[in-house]
Amino acid sequence: MFLETQHIEKSFGTYRALDDINIGVREGTVFGLLGPNGAGKTTLIRLINRIARPDGGRILLGGHEMTDDDVRQIGYLPEERGLYKKMRVGEQAVYLARLKGLSRAEAERRLIRWFERFGIESWWKRPVEELSKGMQQKVQFIVTVVHEPRLLIFDEPFSGFDPVNATLLRDEILRLKTGGATVILSTHNMASVEELCDDIALIDKSHVVLSGGVGEIRRSFGKGEYEAVVDDGQTLRLALQEGQNANELLRQLMTSHIICSFRELLPSMNDIFVEAVEKGGQR
Amino acid sequence: MNKTLLVIGREYLTRVRKPSFWLLTLLVPILFAALYAIPIYLALKPAERSAVLVVDESGLFGGLDRDDTLRADSRFVSTDNIEYRYAATMDYARRQLDSDADATAIVYVRRRASEAIPTDACLYYKSDLPPQQVRYDVDRQLQRILRNRLLQAHGISDDEYALITNTRVNLRTEDLTTGREAFLEVKSGLGLVLSILIYFVIFMFGAQVMRGVVEEKSNRVVEVIVCSVRPFQLMMGKVVGIALVGLTQFLLWVALTGVALVGIQAANGDLFSAAAQKHDLTELATKGSDATLQMQQADQMADLPSIVEGIASIDFGLIVPLFLFFFIFGYLLYATLFAAAGAMSDNDTDTQIVSLPLTIPLLATLLCMPAMIDAPSGVLSQVLSLVPFTSPVAMMLRIPFGVPTVEVVVSMLLLLVSIPLCTWLSARIYRGSILRYGLLANWRKKKGVKGS
Repeated sequence: MFLETQHIEKSFGTYRALDDINIGVREGTVFGLLGPNGAGKTTLIRLINRIARPDGGRILLGGHEMTDDDVRQIGYLPEERGLYKKMRVGEQAVYLARLKGLSRAEAERRLIRWFERFGIESWWKRPVEELSKGMQQKVQFIVTVVHEPRLLIFDEPFSGFDPVNATLLRDEILRLKTGGATVILSTHNMASVEELCDDIALIDKSHVVLSGGVGEIRRSFGKGEYEAVVDDGQTLRLALQEGQNANELLRQLMTSHIICSFRELLPSMNDIFVEAVEKGGQR
Repeated sequence: MNKTLLVIGREYLTRVRKPSFWLLTLLVPILFAALYAIPIYLALKPAERSAVLVVDESGLFGGLDRDDTLRADSRFVSTDNIEYRYAATMDYARRQLDSDADATAIVYVRRRASEAIPTDACLYYKSDLPPQQVRYDVDRQLQRILRNRLLQAHGISDDEYALITNTRVNLRTEDLTTGREAFLEVKSGLGLVLSILIYFVIFMFGAQVMRGVVEEKSNRVVEVIVCSVRPFQLMMGKVVGIALVGLTQFLLWVALTGVALVGIQAANGDLFSAAAQKHDLTELATKGSDATLQMQQADQMADLPSIVEGIASIDFGLIVPLFLFFFIFGYLLYATLFAAAGAMSDNDTDTQIVSLPLTIPLLATLLCMPAMIDAPSGVLSQVLSLVPFTSPVAMMLRIPFGVPTVEVVVSMLLLLVSIPLCTWLSARIYRGSILRYGLLANWRKKKGVKGS
């Protein structure tokens, strides 16, 4: 495991924000950190960032317990993000990059490359307050990744982006993953979870209620329903009978139709999220 | 440490680059230069000529004399700017006032019922109030003429009068052991200026720290920053950065004011002597042989060297370093607390409430100033100049009067010791509040529930 939290506890006064949180993030994967509002996701992220300290438990990065120096290996895009309004875009980006340990020359070199990638070189000298929210988000994304951290944490990265830019951002996240970075993605956008995440953990009411690979989880939540498209163009939805498996269902279908496609109907992450949280609510 | 330097650099540069910084930096020296230059300009500016009509029914002020060759002693005498014209009746004077644009007022003295000296005179004016200069001169002329009459009536010569009225006693306050003069007025003035200055700078730059913290919080930039920099580094970077801005501004003020004053003097070098000469000539022309007025002038002039002497007696070699010490460390004491107050607020409205406890000790010291000037070594002064929250302002007030070395050293030590304590406390509050929103709103809500 690249990042591991062991028995993390955190309370604010009498309120228990996190209780015995164990998650493991494999190196080079995208990990979805999910949960309803107020579940404790941001608190956990702040603990990983060492903005706050846990009351109990350990956080391991690359096998050793995290220290303040490890923060340099993290790039964090908070959900509540902003920039100094009066500063110029380029100057501000250089400042934030230097805070992450880059030299001025190195920061400028890398930032100019990123600005060109995103086609925003012309913004360099403009004050931040002249930029739209979406434009500011782009700058913030660049600033998060410019020091080439090994661990990236994105909290609701897609909010404020139009579909074109959201696609651009998604591609960038996948490119970073291909480049060897490990990504933690916290979002309420379940479509992007299905698209991007390898593993997830669902936190609800301060506990991890569901975790594992996205594929496994979806299969385990499957209701044994299948979809078949047959030669006359019909789409059939079929459910397994008691004690029946998929092969038996297919064989049964083959007796009456010529089959063009046959696939299992998996619940969407959205349905799984709702189901898991509702089950937790009944508990 | 390197990151703290980066924060300091940003805080400093963004502020120093602001137009408002330069505006303030330029305005203060301009203000000082104006304070210096305007009186000179006014003194040199040819005053507007105006005519004043004199209707003297009493005859005491030369109104019934048909003979213009009478002594100037008993008549209104025109000056460079004011021409006095006698008029026989009020009606005539009124018409003159209406028709003559130069005429600004009528001096009217009523007929006497008895031989007693009249105590009433009236200055009538049209629509515009007569210039201050005119009112002042009319008053002076009335008194001069009356006094001359009385002197004549009692057979007292000008020389005798001068001898009698020369009752000036120079009361000095002197130290019994050293024999040195105290110059109390000069010291009070200096103490007031220094302590108000230190109050002003602590407040101004402390509030800047607070506004900076609230700005970061309401911008939501703070969460991005604190994942690269520890909250303590961010707070201290801001406090030190703004301190440097303050020192820069202070030095620029001193330098620019100096340049402005030297510039004014160089540009108007001969104007000074011209102004002085003109002043002398006017005085001579008006008063003629009037020795008493000249003597009053001399009295006023006599105060000047004593002020200069008083300023010279002050140990600036001690005051300047002490001022810088109490300025820097007084600011540091308050700045971290202002930062904590900012961290607890979500917006500017919140800061006004949260910073109230911080402004109270500063304001209280300001209110205690009159009492402290009265007794610079009294118990109140001693206590206020020892308590770290009030000592910067209180000590600056006392320093010109001389404070025992022990008290100064103890006060400085107490201030130095309390800074780490305050910083520690502030850092805790700051760290705990900087990422939390609605603290004050929640607190108010809780209070409201309890209250109902």
